Parts: sequence; C-alpha cells; structure tokens
Amino acid sequence: MTWMPTTITITKSRSLMADVAIPTDDAGVVHADDHHEEHHTSLGISNMKLAMWLFLGSEVLLFGALISTYLLSVARFNQERAEGNPLVTGPGTELFDIPFTSASSFILLMSSLTMVLAHQAIHHGDVKNSRIWLGATASLGSLFLAGQVYEFTVFYREGLGFTTNLFGSAFFTLTGFHGVHVTGGILMLVSLLVLSFQGKLNQDRNETVELVGLYWHFVDIVWVLIFTIVYLVV
Amino acid sequence: MSAETAAAVHADDHVEDHHPTEGQYWIVFVALAIITAVEVAWAEIPLTDDGGPLLVIPMMIMMLVKFVLVAGAFMHLYFDTKILNGKFFWWIFASALVLAVIVYFIVFATFEFSIF
Repeated sequence: MTWMPTTITITKSRSLMADVAIPTDDAGVVHADDHHEEHHTSLGISNMKLAMWLFLGSEVLLFGALISTYLLSVARFNQERAEGNPLVTGPGTELFDIPFTSASSFILLMSSLTMVLAHQAIHHGDVKNSRIWLGATASLGSLFLAGQVYEFTVFYREGLGFTTNLFGSAFFTLTGFHGVHVTGGILMLVSLLVLSFQGKLNQDRNETVELVGLYWHFVDIVWVLIFTIVYLVV
Repeated sequence: MSAETAAAVHADDHVEDHHPTEGQYWIVFVALAIITAVEVAWAEIPLTDDGGPLLVIPMMIMMLVKFVLVAGAFMHLYFDTKILNGKFFWWIFASALVLAVIVYFIVFATFEFSIF
C-alpha cells in the first residue's frame, strides 16, 4: 500500500470533493492513490464508468445503423415479393418461431437479473454468492447463444442463407452482431470468475463487476429492441 | 479518520444506499417478464395481424418501458447519474437526443435505395 502524503481539505457541503470516498489513515490524512477504483470525477461517476458509457454510446450507433438497415431491407424485400418480382427468392419472416424466441428473450432477461445480483453480492463483500451469480449469468448467456445457433441452423436448413436474399443478409447481420456481443460478454464473465477464484476480485474491485454488468445489460437492451422490432412487429 | 473526512465517506455510502435492493431487482425482473409475455400475446392475437398501428404503437410503448426499466434500474442510470441531474448537462443531453431522433426519422423517411 502506497500512502501519499497529500492532505486534502474536505468540507461537509455537497462540493465536488464531498462526494468522493477517499481513504484516510487515523490522522485524517487523505491517501489519494490508495483505492484506484474509487476515483470519481466531477461528473459524479468514475473515469472507468464514464469510458464504458462512451463505449456503449458508440455501440448504440452501431446497432442503430444495423436495425435501420434491417427495417429498410425487409420493407423492400416484402414489397418486391408482394409485387411478384422473380428475382426475390427464398423464405422470409414466416420462418420465425415466436414461442422459441420468446423463451430465448426470457433467458436473456433473467441473465440481467443474475448480473445485478452478482454485482450486489460483490458490493456487499459476498464473494461466494457473487461467483454463483456470475456463473449463472454466463450459463444463461451461453444458453441464449445456443438457442441462436439452433435458430440459425433451422433457418439454413429451410433454405435461408446469408446471401439467399435481402432479408437473410439483414437478419443474419443484425442478430449475428448481437450474438458476437453476447459471446464477448460471456468471455468477460468467465474472466471475472477466473479472477474471483484467483482471489483478485473482492469488494474493493466491485466496480469491475459493475462495468461488465453495464455491458451485459446493454446487450440485453439491444435484444429487447431486436425482439420487438424484428420478431414481433415487422 | 477526521470528522470531516468521515462525513465525506459516509456521504458516498449514502449515495450507494439509493441503489435498488435485491427485492426491487426481482420486482423489475417480474415486470419485464410480464411485459414480454403481453408483447408476445399482443403480437399473436388476430386483431393485430395486419401490422398496423394497433400492433406497432402498443409494442413500441411496451418496448420503451422495458428499455427504461433495464437502463434505469439494472444499469443504475436512474440512481447514479449526477451528470444528468445537473440542469445544464441534462438540457444538453435532452436537446441532443431530440435532435438526433428528428434527424433519424427525416433520413429514414427519405431514404431510397436500389437493389435490382
């Protein structure tokens, strides 16, 4: 532990510094570098969390573009097919199995709950339960991913490939990108589990779990949009 | 620890106390599950087969509610965003959001492309 001999005056008012949890010794000397994860900014959130939010902002642009492309492509696909264009071949949205996808959505929603419970547990220093909830989240994410692979396989056997038609290209691109993000989230969760079993994930580092949680919930939110727009509405 | 620094540390604890409890997380999850079930049921009933406003508008509202629940409760956006609580930042954020949505729909409505 490195104790920096810096003393910072802190008032009781709700000034910028008053909201900062700063470790001190018995003499009241503030050790600014002791707790690197607890650094906060004047914006009220730590730099790491702000960086994660900025990253998620860029992800919003990515998925916004993909969902828009899907909507435009499917509208055009359905229009051309309704007009009997002979160039439009292959199946379309009639392949969707709504009950199956609803179950997948429920699984992903449930994984968001287990994720917040993992963060809640580590936040209160309950390492054992945090491992259980992290494992549950990774398992539910894997189950969702397995469902997506199954769905893709069924679609392919029904004659819908990536280059079959405009619908296939847009659908596989959008849901495939989401699947890749779920895979990335599962890898992060497994990494957290490994860190936990190595004794490197404790209450002091609960923000690491929160950051992964932010990413995981974002992936869940994207699926909320995809499920409603792609499967239920269009 | 001095009284002043202790006050600061406790002030931070106080902020953390505003996060939802485990029970509240479960309530949010049950709400999400119920809304999802209603969405699926609404999409399946014959009344909404034509894909008109009767289908789309309720679905968009339910999707928005789910979005807000996950972002607000699970992502703690409702609880620890001092950046959004400041009026100045909030107005910048809200103005940019409204502008972005308007531009999006204008571009979306006028977009044309050719594939054949």
